[in-house]
Amino acid sequence: MAEARKQDWIDKLHDFDRRWIFLAMGIAIIVPFFFPLGLPVQVSPMVRSVYDTVEELHEGDVVFLSLDMDPASVPELQPFYKAVLLQLKQKRVKIAIATTWYAAPPMLERWIRETVEANFVPDDAPAEKGLPDRDHVKNKLAKSKEGRYVKNVDYVWLGFREGKEAVISGMGKDLHDTFDGRAADGTKLSDIPWMKDRRQLKDFKLLILVSAGFPGIKEYVQQVQARYKLRMVGSCTAVSTTDLTPYYDSGQLLGLAGGMTAAAEYEKLVNHRGSGTQGAEVLNVGHIVVILAIIFGNIIFFVGRARERKRRAA
Amino acid sequence: MTDLPMIDLLGFWLGIFLTFCILSFLYKDNPFYKFAEHLFIGVSISYVITQQYYNVLRPKLVDRLAHADHWFWTWDVFALILVVLMFVKVMSSRLGWLGRYPLAFVVALYAGLQINGVAQADLGQQIQRATKNMDLRKVNVNKMCKQSDDDERKACIERQEKALAGVPGISSVVAVKVRKGAEQKPFGSLDDIAKLATLSEAERSTFSAARGSVIGTDAKAATTSGQRDWFGIFSQILLFIGLLASLVYFYFSVEHKGTIGKISRFGVWVLMIGFGASFGLTVQGRIALAIGRVQDVAGTNMTKHQADQIHGPVVALVSVGIIIAGLVIWELREKRKRQAGPTSGGEK
Repeated sequence: MAEARKQDWIDKLHDFDRRWIFLAMGIAIIVPFFFPLGLPVQVSPMVRSVYDTVEELHEGDVVFLSLDMDPASVPELQPFYKAVLLQLKQKRVKIAIATTWYAAPPMLERWIRETVEANFVPDDAPAEKGLPDRDHVKNKLAKSKEGRYVKNVDYVWLGFREGKEAVISGMGKDLHDTFDGRAADGTKLSDIPWMKDRRQLKDFKLLILVSAGFPGIKEYVQQVQARYKLRMVGSCTAVSTTDLTPYYDSGQLLGLAGGMTAAAEYEKLVNHRGSGTQGAEVLNVGHIVVILAIIFGNIIFFVGRARERKRRAA
Repeated sequence: MTDLPMIDLLGFWLGIFLTFCILSFLYKDNPFYKFAEHLFIGVSISYVITQQYYNVLRPKLVDRLAHADHWFWTWDVFALILVVLMFVKVMSSRLGWLGRYPLAFVVALYAGLQINGVAQADLGQQIQRATKNMDLRKVNVNKMCKQSDDDERKACIERQEKALAGVPGISSVVAVKVRKGAEQKPFGSLDDIAKLATLSEAERSTFSAARGSVIGTDAKAATTSGQRDWFGIFSQILLFIGLLASLVYFYFSVEHKGTIGKISRFGVWVLMIGFGASFGLTVQGRIALAIGRVQDVAGTNMTKHQADQIHGPVVALVSVGIIIAGLVIWELREKRKRQAGPTSGGEK
């Protein structure tokens, strides 16, 4: 009788409704979201390389920022975008922004209004504990009037061009021609002093790529990095990280920040606690649920298999 | 702080409502889920068509043809002909073969781009990486550049700073300070770097945090030349063996048994570790999406002023209420239909 009850229990677990896992995951996400655990964030070498490379820029340098993403990748990529933008603004670096994703422009135009043209670090944001004096000064700068970039003076929004790799290859050859010589608002690129002579991607000090998939970092490396020996750093979604890491190992990418956890690391480096830091903490708890689900699934599988073998032997 | 326009507010509210509509699928397939799904597909397609027209067809084709005056007319007409041929494929089965030409043109163009890119970036550079010298040596922090020729000395300094910047805990900015520090007085041990007066507190703490004899600063740097990075050498050997074993797994001209079978088995393990890492990161990405939605509803990834206008949690509660009420009504109607079903079926 006891044996029969045990078998029923295992059978039930075998046909376990997967919605219970979704519920557990939902709880694992919502609870730490409202009751933070304060888990530490350790900066990995790949992320530090991105920071160090951007840190080498000087006031007046011009970088090319390609935001190849859509709304679905916002949670993973927006925290990095904000953090790196803060660093660029602190250094007063000029930025040319473009995208090769058709779904991006409406969202990016809003981001530009809210983060490039305006200060996204609230004026009343508290200073982080243990922040070095140097960074205090920089943070103040980012919050001040100088943190507001002016269109076609401090930054240029080139917009979107369809063509994927062909467009990336075209930008490598002639950026002005690819965008018909005009910014998204119709301003002639030749009328912007710092864009006038920057006709190719190699004329930029650094390429910062925020990429959700195809086309993105991989295509930039394949089409222009190898050909023109460009300096590039990137941020990608977690799922692309393993595909892109070899480019970091070979030196084709000078740094890589993959997914929300890397964004949290970057936020730590620029001393701006944003949605990445909050998300990374929740992510850790979510991972524990996944690990437990894997262990649980394996136990059910192996117990079930052992029981089946026993039954056959009998 | 400017207020959000009404259209943006409606967008945020609709986004929260649609999130819960999609999540209602966890209960079962229902009209709320169907509505969100169909709306998503409809909006996506209409958006793509509009975007392609205004970004590609109008500037690249319509406007050019309208303003064309001389010989390059023909090139724009060529593009138009390719577009028309695409439609011939769906409009006429007899002339459908003509639709292959624009497809062949596009495939050839991208194949050409890809071959070049993959050969240079993936094949060439990655082979170069895989054939790196396995006998890895630690970076000598006390290396001096004493060449008499200025250019040679400059190049030596650049190389040394680059090498130092590759050591954990040493950024490119710190590398310059370390090199200059060594020039003034050679370091007796790596501990002396942390005592450099030119380092900021943040740089000092970063350097100290990166110390470690396996993969940390101590594993990659030393105060004398010629010291080996043993963990690095082990990693290089493992990478090389793993690469060969993985290639053997895909080599089908020899039967996978005996020694080849064992190597191939090791190759499978290497591949599985790679897939495991990919899977873990995929899961991470999916959880991040869920976190993103919670952040949107709670209003934590926007300014406080915006969050106060949107009232995400209230909208979420109202959305859940509407969906639950709607599902109850829908279930009751379905139940009534099921009860009435056999009778009406019989009448027919």
